[in-house]
Amino acid sequence: MTDSIIVGLSGGVDSAVAAATLVEEGYQVEGLFMKNWEEDSKYCTSEQDYKDALQICNCLDIPLRSINFSKEYWEKVFKKFLDEYKLGRTPNPDILCNTEIKFKAFLDYALELGANKIATGHYAINSFVDGYQNLIRGDDANKEQSYFLYGLNQKQLSYALFPLGTWQKENVRKKAFDIGFLNFNKKDSTGICFIGERHFKDFLKNYIPSQPGDIESTDGSIIGQHEGSMYYTIGQRQGLGIGGVTGTKEMPWYVVDKITNKNKLIVAQGKNNSQLHHQYLECSRLHWISGHAPKKKNLQAKIRYRGNDSACNIKLKDSGTVIVSFKDPQFAISPGQSIVFYDKKLCLGGGIIDLRWN
Amino acid sequence: MAYFDHSATTPVHKDVLDRMHEIQSNSFGNPSSTHKKGRQARSIIEEARNQVSSSIGASPNQVLFTSGGTESNNQLLYSIIGNAKNHIITSKIEHPAILETLIKLKNFGIEYDIISVNKEGTIIFDEIKNCTQSNTGLISIMLANNEVGTVQPIKKITDYAQSNSILTHTDAVQCLGKIPVKVKELGVDFLSLSAHKFYGPKGVGILFAKNPKLIDPYILGGGQEFNLRGGTENTAAIAGMGLAAKIANDNLSQTKKHLDYLELFFKNELIKIFPQTKFNENIQSKLPGLISVSFPKNKSSILLSKLDRLNIAVSNGSACGSGIIKPSKILSAMGIDNDLNLSTLRISFGTKNTKEEIKTLLSALDSILIK
Repeated sequence: MTDSIIVGLSGGVDSAVAAATLVEEGYQVEGLFMKNWEEDSKYCTSEQDYKDALQICNCLDIPLRSINFSKEYWEKVFKKFLDEYKLGRTPNPDILCNTEIKFKAFLDYALELGANKIATGHYAINSFVDGYQNLIRGDDANKEQSYFLYGLNQKQLSYALFPLGTWQKENVRKKAFDIGFLNFNKKDSTGICFIGERHFKDFLKNYIPSQPGDIESTDGSIIGQHEGSMYYTIGQRQGLGIGGVTGTKEMPWYVVDKITNKNKLIVAQGKNNSQLHHQYLECSRLHWISGHAPKKKNLQAKIRYRGNDSACNIKLKDSGTVIVSFKDPQFAISPGQSIVFYDKKLCLGGGIIDLRWN
Repeated sequence: MAYFDHSATTPVHKDVLDRMHEIQSNSFGNPSSTHKKGRQARSIIEEARNQVSSSIGASPNQVLFTSGGTESNNQLLYSIIGNAKNHIITSKIEHPAILETLIKLKNFGIEYDIISVNKEGTIIFDEIKNCTQSNTGLISIMLANNEVGTVQPIKKITDYAQSNSILTHTDAVQCLGKIPVKVKELGVDFLSLSAHKFYGPKGVGILFAKNPKLIDPYILGGGQEFNLRGGTENTAAIAGMGLAAKIANDNLSQTKKHLDYLELFFKNELIKIFPQTKFNENIQSKLPGLISVSFPKNKSSILLSKLDRLNIAVSNGSACGSGIIKPSKILSAMGIDNDLNLSTLRISFGTKNTKEEIKTLLSALDSILIK
């Protein structure tokens, strides 16, 4: 009997082509459209995404189902996201969305519907080697998404198919066009999925009230005002409203630190400023995909999705946290963000950054 | 495909289709034109008006063609704007075409009260009395509910309303061809119908008004429909509705008997395969062939998907534009908790369904229900 696969269809081009390849390979495929966010305006934007997903399914002659996980998303992802922001950290809800929603609530529902496996449009590869489910970087270096998937465990990976792991994005779009998907040139979703095209700070203000305070330069002088330190991210350059401070050089200002309990934002000038770079960090809430920490200690790590690979050494502490020493100092290490560890192409797992220092 | 979702919409009757096809091909004239093609189209429309009005026991000049039940309900409610008696009484289980419209009409000074229903989906009549104010101008209660099929005591309501000089409206879109829909017997002032619920085409319906002068135009334009609904008439759709209404009315007792039989057979067999089955209904007063059934411990969305795989169409509550199933407000209003609400399917039989098809449905349910 052929495997029955449920593909998470967002209405975007990646999941659409993922579904198409599975249909071509002869699997029994169904689409499942997921709604994770209740609209806050009268105009229902998810309806257009659903209609895109429906056009894809009609093209492929497969059924489409829908499911609402907005309650689960709110409870398991969004509340934690807000809690982290209130603590002055910069969380990544898309990672939590994968572990809690796509590969938990969605997976459970798909199994209940009778699927053997689920598939998504992630650019990542999973393979079963020597008794382990491995997560490997996708082949398209620019698109690869293993960073977002580091929280998956062996069981979750065993149910997952990533048909686009070996694809290049441009070929995905070409394929979508050739099949006749109307979404072939639909814009990639950027940033955090539920915020969409809105201004991030304005969105956050709906949930975390503004709390104006001082912007201080690293020498302690007050050079501006902010609307609430939690709205800002370490390494942020735009939207600070600082300019032409007398007695300073003509160089852009960057957020180098947030002192949440004093509601202070600390800034410094120039991207190469030493206060923006740190060689060490400590992370907690570690998750290892294989189920245990790697034997190898000299690894590569990414401290943000769009970051580069950085050589590092890891030291496991008895408390369960990990100390990471980088070969070179890293720009804008942000507490709350995830650090993900790799051994070349193999994604090992990761944790949440708590502290950084030199 | 075994289709059991006739309350959502019905397939177009073969004769209706033929008639519409012929009109679409041959009678394309604008009914407002005075030349032969125009006069031909006009006479088709007026014939349809006769057919629809006689199917509900009204005069032709009391029947206004609209784009369907939603527009009819909107037009009526908008007509209340500016009346001295601008308070409206309606119920929790009305179609969104009533309830959503009323929310909007608050901006225009309309006041309203929404009365409750009991656990069988029947309105609580005393609440109408309790809500009546000196400025109550309209009571709008549906003739039969679209999800559970409960037929409401409209005559009792209209008697009460008349003695208090209040106008009455009933949304009867689920009813034509299943139960008698006679405006005089019901005693209503206004009534809405939609053709696609009685084997006619989509996009066409009527608003009946005992006194059409009480209706204001809602879509303004070229003065069509007694100056009450602008826009060139959709001749073929109107004619299709006319014929569909006539067929529905002519075959009423036969259809009712057929649907009653299918319903009884289905329910009796279903209890055998799933004894925990719970029917949400008022058995004394319901539409034939519409069954709201809860399957404890089963998710309706899963059942729906699995039936769909077997090429069987039923429904659960009402889905939004993204296909997401929400707990039914109607079932909630009947006091059904959220778990059971999301375990509920609506199965609605139609004239062409057969006992063999019902057996297919039963054996499908037998194989997918978690018992």
